[in-house]
Amino acid sequence: MSDILQIDGLRARIADGRDVLKGIDLTVRSGEVHAIMGPNGAGKSTLSNVLAGRPGYEVTDGAVRYLGQDLLALAADERARAGVFLAFQYPVEIPGVNNMYFLRAALNAVRRHNGEPELDAAQFLRVVKAKLKLLDIREDLLHRAVNVGFSGGEKKRNEIFQMAMLEPRLAILDETDSGLDIDALRLVADGVNRLRDPARAIVLITHYQRLLDYVEPDFVHVLADGAIVASGDKTLATELEQRGYAHLGLAA
Amino acid sequence: MLADPTMQTLLDARPSAIAEEPAWLTDWREAARQRFVELGLPTPRNEAWRFTDLRPLRAALSAQANASISPSAGELTPHRLTDAHHRLVFVDGRLDSAQSRVGLLRGVWCGSMAEALATRPELAEAALSAADAHDARPFAALNAAQFTDGMLLALEPGVVMDRPLELVCLRMTPSGPPVQLRHCITLGAGSQATVVESAFGDGAGCSNHVTTAALADQARLTYVKLQAEPDTALHLAELRVQLGRAAKLDGVFLSLGGRLSRQDIQVALAGEDAELALHGTYLLRGAQEAVIAPFVDHRVANCRTTELFKAVLDDAAHGVFLGSIAVREGADGTQAHQQNRNLLISRTARADTRPELTIYADEVKCSHGATVGDLDESALFYLQARGLTPAAARAMLIDAFAAEPIDAAALPPAIRDWLHFHLAAWLGTGEVR
Repeated sequence: MSDILQIDGLRARIADGRDVLKGIDLTVRSGEVHAIMGPNGAGKSTLSNVLAGRPGYEVTDGAVRYLGQDLLALAADERARAGVFLAFQYPVEIPGVNNMYFLRAALNAVRRHNGEPELDAAQFLRVVKAKLKLLDIREDLLHRAVNVGFSGGEKKRNEIFQMAMLEPRLAILDETDSGLDIDALRLVADGVNRLRDPARAIVLITHYQRLLDYVEPDFVHVLADGAIVASGDKTLATELEQRGYAHLGLAA
Repeated sequence: MLADPTMQTLLDARPSAIAEEPAWLTDWREAARQRFVELGLPTPRNEAWRFTDLRPLRAALSAQANASISPSAGELTPHRLTDAHHRLVFVDGRLDSAQSRVGLLRGVWCGSMAEALATRPELAEAALSAADAHDARPFAALNAAQFTDGMLLALEPGVVMDRPLELVCLRMTPSGPPVQLRHCITLGAGSQATVVESAFGDGAGCSNHVTTAALADQARLTYVKLQAEPDTALHLAELRVQLGRAAKLDGVFLSLGGRLSRQDIQVALAGEDAELALHGTYLLRGAQEAVIAPFVDHRVANCRTTELFKAVLDDAAHGVFLGSIAVREGADGTQAHQQNRNLLISRTARADTRPELTIYADEVKCSHGATVGDLDESALFYLQARGLTPAAARAMLIDAFAAEPIDAAALPPAIRDWLHFHLAAWLGTGEVR
């Protein structure tokens, strides 16, 4: 399987602050699901933000290659059009921007990038209907402003729906399980499972093991103090759940 | 001679009045002229103008006249509200009958003020004196003294005009004395009308229009104003409305043009249970300045006002909001809410906002607020993280901000789409949602 993401010795900090990532090495191949677990403050969100290109972070060393190109040289929107998708830990509410309108603009931006024709409103609607069915999402969410008045679960499902629409090669899910009750968690996990694909890589970033009860990862990594301190298969997650981060000599 | 040369120029430049004016109108104009002289031109000490740079105002008002150019129908086409069954077009202060058409409707008189004075002088007199006899602001007084024509719309009680009336005020004089129109709307009890007024022009001239409306009990008026003059022009306008018992005004304003523009809105809620909704967006760039000045007067009990004005300010533009709601003694049960929100999309743009509430009654529910801010960085990143370019993300957020008042207003879909079209044209997004 081909490499989708290759991170070598990545060091990064919040602008003008201390280093948060202190040398990350990680390779993710097509079709794989990786879970990155770690206690609060380990650098999980910094890693996802640096990969997505959020302003306010500074890479001080190392390299990130995505499908063979230098990911860090691309602006956030270029990364998105090239197939990198970040499911936000805190999806942003955007009053006045209709969810469907936004998503069609996003999808057409990606399609233009791929040299595909843009979808008109009717074609777009057909794609939407198909994806809604796949993910079991209610249609009324789509006609509201982006994330405005959505429950926590609805926001996270909207992220997964966007992922389904945009069909990224690399999806990074930043604490998608946080703040969800068990039913919402199941729905989100089902969505992620349906989006597993041999051509796609998924990186799940999470504090808790419980998401991994529903989405079975191929690899589990433990991130602590800005570096990956342990890697293994899914049994590593179970071990962490039973014995805690302290077992690895880490603060929980 | 007046001490102020600009005022003298304005008064000397009195355009030829309506042919064969009745004596009462001559007296009425003279009283207005006197009032203009007493009020004088605004100065920086004048509270209503204190945020405004008055130099361009004076320069525009003192400019000498140039020859006017006749617009062709083609020039009007892009501005037109499609599907308007009734349309009055005024070019440089005179009715252009070739471009105007008004279908006959039972119980409706609609035409130019000049025609009304010739054929229905009693209607014209009632309308001109109805809304409020006093032109208490200098440019309204100047307009009363000098208007050359305008629209008169009079509905008998119970008449419902189901198609909007489009009122196009086109100014083609590139400089010189102001083009001044006075439009009057009188709605009989229970009658309903929709009036869409638009102001377009060419060059650096000056417009000074007044629209008055008197709504009898339970009458309803939807009034839409699009100000899209060139960014070299001076545009002064006043809307003055009196609402009777359970009457309702929906006022919607989209203001895009003018080097300097000022829209005064004066609404008196004079009958119980009257209702007022004002929604507006003003978008400015370059060196444009705009003043939006709604004054709402709750004179009696149990009336309701909601007001939302939003500004998008780019480059070195300057937006001023002077919103005032007065609740008179005895106007118990008043509900009045006023909001002004400003979006600064450049570091050099400026917003001044002063929402005021003056309350002399008990048992009222009133609120007001103002915000000045820039684009939400986290929203910008969210849109870019889904593949939108920074420019597209900005345009989407600005459009969403600016469209809110238009979307919140009670408007027929065709008029809403038309306003969105003009909004999108300003934003350069070109896409109608």
